[in-house]
Amino acid sequence: MLALRLSLGAQPAVQVRRLLVAGASAGTGFLLLSALGHALSHPDPAASALRLAWCAGPLASTVYLALAVARTDPATRPRPGLSAVGLGPVKLMAISAATTAAACLLGSVLALLVFLQLRGDLTGMPLGGGAREFLAAGRPLPLPAALTLLALVPLSASAAVAMTLRPRDPVTGAGRTAPAYGRFGAYRRTPVRESFGAYGRFGRQFGAAARERRTATELPAPEQAGAEAPSADAAEETADGSPAVVPPPVPTAAPSGLPWGIAVLAVGLAVEALTSRTGSEGGPAAFLGLALTSLGLALVGPGLAHLCGRLLQAVRPGALRLLAGRVLMTEATRIGRPLGVVCAVVSAAYAMASLHDRDDPSAGPLVVLGVLLVVGCTVATLLTAAVEAKQAHADTTASLRRLGAPAGTLRRAAVLRAAALLALFGPLTVAVAELSAWPLGG
Amino acid sequence: MVAPPDNDVLWARALHFRHDDGSPGLSGVSLGVREGEILAVSGPRGSGKSTLLRCLSGLVPANDGEVWFNSVPVHTMGPAARERLRRDRFGWIDPAPVLVPELNVWENAALPLMLRGTGRRRAKAAALEWLERLDVGDRARRHPVELTHAERQRVCIARALAPAPSVLFADEPTAPLHRVDRAHVLRTLTTAARSHGITVVLATHEAQTAALADRTVSLLDGRCVRTVHLPPVSGPAESEGRAACSLSV
Repeated sequence: MLALRLSLGAQPAVQVRRLLVAGASAGTGFLLLSALGHALSHPDPAASALRLAWCAGPLASTVYLALAVARTDPATRPRPGLSAVGLGPVKLMAISAATTAAACLLGSVLALLVFLQLRGDLTGMPLGGGAREFLAAGRPLPLPAALTLLALVPLSASAAVAMTLRPRDPVTGAGRTAPAYGRFGAYRRTPVRESFGAYGRFGRQFGAAARERRTATELPAPEQAGAEAPSADAAEETADGSPAVVPPPVPTAAPSGLPWGIAVLAVGLAVEALTSRTGSEGGPAAFLGLALTSLGLALVGPGLAHLCGRLLQAVRPGALRLLAGRVLMTEATRIGRPLGVVCAVVSAAYAMASLHDRDDPSAGPLVVLGVLLVVGCTVATLLTAAVEAKQAHADTTASLRRLGAPAGTLRRAAVLRAAALLALFGPLTVAVAELSAWPLGG
Repeated sequence: MVAPPDNDVLWARALHFRHDDGSPGLSGVSLGVREGEILAVSGPRGSGKSTLLRCLSGLVPANDGEVWFNSVPVHTMGPAARERLRRDRFGWIDPAPVLVPELNVWENAALPLMLRGTGRRRAKAAALEWLERLDVGDRARRHPVELTHAERQRVCIARALAPAPSVLFADEPTAPLHRVDRAHVLRTLTTAARSHGITVVLATHEAQTAALADRTVSLLDGRCVRTVHLPPVSGPAESEGRAACSLSV
C-alpha cells in the first residue's frame, strides 16, 4: 500500500518511465498469450515451444528496462531522515520491487484485456483474417495457463529488482590504501620514528618521507590550539551538522570486458562465415553466430566507451574535453553496457531483416511487435541510464554552477560525450551488421 | 537608487529574501564590505547566513533590496550576467568539499581557471602553487577519494583562490572538521586572503572563527543584530545560578 502511495505521488517524468515499463510488460504479455493461443489452435507442440522460446528476447529486454527504471527511481533513494521511522534499505528494496511489480501487473492486465478483446470474448466480435491462428478464437482460454504466463513478467522483473537493489553494507573504515607488505613492521602508520642520530643521516631530509613528517609535526600550531582550547563544545556543535561527505568511489581502471568482447565478436563472425561457406544458411549455426556476434557487441560496450573517454581527454585537454572525457571514463560501465546492447540489437535486427525479406515478404505482426519491443526497450534503457548518470552527477554539477561554470560548457561537454559515443559506436554497429548480414544473405 | 559609498567593494541595502516555500530568509539586511577586509557573518544555524551569502554572490536574486559590487548593481542583472560575474570576480567555498571526483587534485584546482579560458600550462602552474601553499602539494596527482576530509577542504580553498577572485565567499568552510584541522584551514585561508588582498565574506556560527576576521556582522532570524557577549564568569559559586547568555539588541 505504501509503495502504491509513494508511486502515485511521483513526478511526471518518473511516471512516464513507469508507464514505459508497463507498456513493455503489456507487449511481452501479449506475445506470451499469443504463443499460448498458437499452442491451442495447433496440434504441433514443437512449433509452439519455439514461439514461446522467441518470447525470451522481449522478456529479457523488459526486465532490463524495469531494472534501469527502478535504479533511477527517486523513491528508492536512501532517505536518511526516514530510516529512523522504518524506511530502511530493506524496506526501500521491498518498495521498489513492489512498484516494479505494480507497473508490470498493470501491463499484464492490459495485455490480457487486449487479447480477450481481439478474441471476441468481451464483445463477441472476434478479429478475422490471419490473426485467427494465434488468437485461437472460438476455443476456451485455459485460465491457469494464461495467468501463469502473465505472472512471468512481474515476477521476474521484481525478483531482478530485488536482487539488484538488495542492501549491501558499504565497506567503511577499511584501509584507504592497500597495506604494503614491504618490510618488517610495515603496518605501523605513525610518522617516521625519531631515534637518536636519525635526523642527521644522509638523504634523510629529502623526498616524500621527510616532507610528510614535517607537515605532520607542524600541523597543530601552538597558538591556534591555545586559542581554540576554551571552545570545548565547538566540536560537538559540528557533530550535528551534515555527515562528512565522502566522494563516491570512482572506478579508475578500465572495464575488463573488452578483450573478451572482441574475441566473442570475432568468433561469432567466423561462425557466420563458416555457415555461409558450408551452405547451411538460416540453420541453427547461423543463429548461433548471430547470437555470438550480438553478445560480443554487448560485451565490448563498456570498454569501448572507456576508450572513447580516454581519447577525448587525451592530448593536453582544456576544461571542456577534460570534463567530457573523464566523466565518460567513469561512466563507461553505466552508459557503455546499454549502449552495447542497443548496438547488438540494432545489428541483429538489421541482419535478420536482410535474411527475412528474401524468405517471406509479409513478416507477421507478432514478429514486428517483438522486434519493436526489444529495440524500444533497449533504447529506453539507454536513455534511462543517461538519466541515472545525470542524477549521479547532480551534486558535482551544482557545485560547478556555484563556482560560476557556464551552463553552456557543461551542456557542450554532454553533447561532446554523446557525439563521441555516436561517432565510435555508429560505424561499428553498421560494420558488424553488414558483416553478419553478408554471409547470411549468401 | 542611491549609489553606494566608494570604499565598499560589496554593498547591500535592505535585502529581503523569502524561500520558495514561503519560509522567511532575510528581512532587511544592510551591510557594506570594504576592500581587502575579512568580514565574518556570524549567527546560529538558520539565521540566514548562507542565504545572505547566496544573495550577495548573485546565486539567487533577492526579492527586494539592492546589491552593488564595485558600483555595479547586481540586483538588476540577469542570470547570465550574474553567472559571468560569479565566474570572473567571485570565489565560493562550500561547507562540504564537493570536488569533481573524476579529476585529480590539481585538475580540480585548475578547473575554474580553465573554465575562464586560461591555458592549461598556466592554470596548472597556478593550481600547483596554491596547493603547495595549502600543504596539499604532495597530493596533487591523487584523486579526491584518496584524500581526507580536511585535505579535500583545503583543495576546495585552493580551487577558490587560484583564479584570484575579488571577493571570496566562504560558507562555513570549517563546519565538519575537527578543531586542529579547522584551525589549520582557517589560518591558511585568512593568510592567503590577506597576502593577496582578497576580500573574504566568511559565514560562521562560532565566535572563535569570527575572531580571525576584521569585522563581524551578527545575524539573528534574518536581521542584523549587535550581539554583546557577556564576559565569562570565573568561580563555580557565582556561575551556579546563572546560565551562559548573550544579549542581542
